[in-house]
Amino acid sequence: MSRRLVIPSVLIFIVATGFILFLSPHNMRRVQAGFLGIISPFLKTGSAFDKKYRDFREGLKTLEQLEEENKRLVVSNKEMSATNQTLRGLETENNRLRNALGYRERAVFKLLPARIISRDASTWYNEVIIDRGVADGLKEEGDQAVLTEEGLVGKTTVVSDHSATVVLISDEACRVAASVEGTREQGIVKGERASSGSTPSIGLNFLSKQANLKNGANVYTSGAGGVFPSGVLIGQVKDFKMRELDGHATVVPAVDLTTLEDVFVVVGDNK
Amino acid sequence: MIFFVLLLVAMFLALVVQHFIPPLPVIGSRVLLMPIVMFYGALALPTPGMLVLAFCGGIMWDALHVQIIKGNVEIALGWSIVLYATLGALMGGFRPLFQRGRWEIHCLLSGVCTSMIVLSEYLMITFRREPVVFLFNKEIWWRIGGAGLVAVLLSPFFFFTLNYLAFLVGFDTQPARNIKRSR
Repeated sequence: MSRRLVIPSVLIFIVATGFILFLSPHNMRRVQAGFLGIISPFLKTGSAFDKKYRDFREGLKTLEQLEEENKRLVVSNKEMSATNQTLRGLETENNRLRNALGYRERAVFKLLPARIISRDASTWYNEVIIDRGVADGLKEEGDQAVLTEEGLVGKTTVVSDHSATVVLISDEACRVAASVEGTREQGIVKGERASSGSTPSIGLNFLSKQANLKNGANVYTSGAGGVFPSGVLIGQVKDFKMRELDGHATVVPAVDLTTLEDVFVVVGDNK
Repeated sequence: MIFFVLLLVAMFLALVVQHFIPPLPVIGSRVLLMPIVMFYGALALPTPGMLVLAFCGGIMWDALHVQIIKGNVEIALGWSIVLYATLGALMGGFRPLFQRGRWEIHCLLSGVCTSMIVLSEYLMITFRREPVVFLFNKEIWWRIGGAGLVAVLLSPFFFFTLNYLAFLVGFDTQPARNIKRSR
């Protein structure tokens, strides 16, 4: 019975696989988004359990420790509120002055908070899955910048209704136009193959050979390309070396990409 | 049929669970659970069942892992189906041994085939990315070999769990073993 089924089943298998292999990128993305939609409730549940477990382990504190932490947080909160007020005033003044000088008012982007429900599940890609999707205001075609208060994280790729995949800046396929603070140097930041660990190195390529960047110099997004807003911190220069045709700097990401929990997706201008 | 559905569910759950397992410290390799279940199916089921399992497993794997950035497809959706079916067919050759009760067949072949999957992924990425650079350092070899070693260590647990499930639903995965015993 089973042997008679072998040839027809192989034929059906070849046809079905051929059909899948020759799907257009658009349809591939739809299949991915569909499956992401199916699996994301499981990932969300698993992530919630995982978080509860970690919170339980980290939350075992004495009353004295909690009181101390509370005092520290209250002070920190007041400091941040005061700083925030000052910065808001400076931001308004800055925009007004830029306008007066004929510069385009710098866009202040609208951010959508998101939680990471799965991280880095593949061997060669550096990706995470977040719990926001088209239903929350993300673009179906992806390519929206993702960041934290510390700096750039990556950009969205496959977006389903309630979840999205984010490719991290440590991935070789994620390329970001960048500029170096205090210089006129511009280049392309991209991850290195098989990079891992809490501080994976990323490379800043296509710099001029005379760049001679100092260690610790901040690297920001330049805004070229339109995906990433300008002025977002990417990381700090770790070392600089000259190659045959260009200069290359190793950059340490500003964000610890392995302990990420909450991120923001740039969903538009805040106007 | 019930056991086949159970294997599909187990593959899906293994795919979900492996998302919450971090890479191994120092060597950085991933713990890949889904291929272990898939390769068990390749030994336990006849060819048509193995092909359906490879198809479902491959499509689930690719749907979650294939990267499409700005319409650029590095590895086409469906390549894993071909790879799983090829490795599954290879394992099918060892099926008579497995049916005679040699559980270590699953253990060793799971390790080899899991490493093959990771290696194939890496080679495809290498060929697709510009410039083509064959970077094979110690870290990369550990990622490839480490995934296989983990599969070897974990597969006995999967083997006995899945065999017990098969027993519960009345599916005999190793009929030749029973024949030998009855003689």
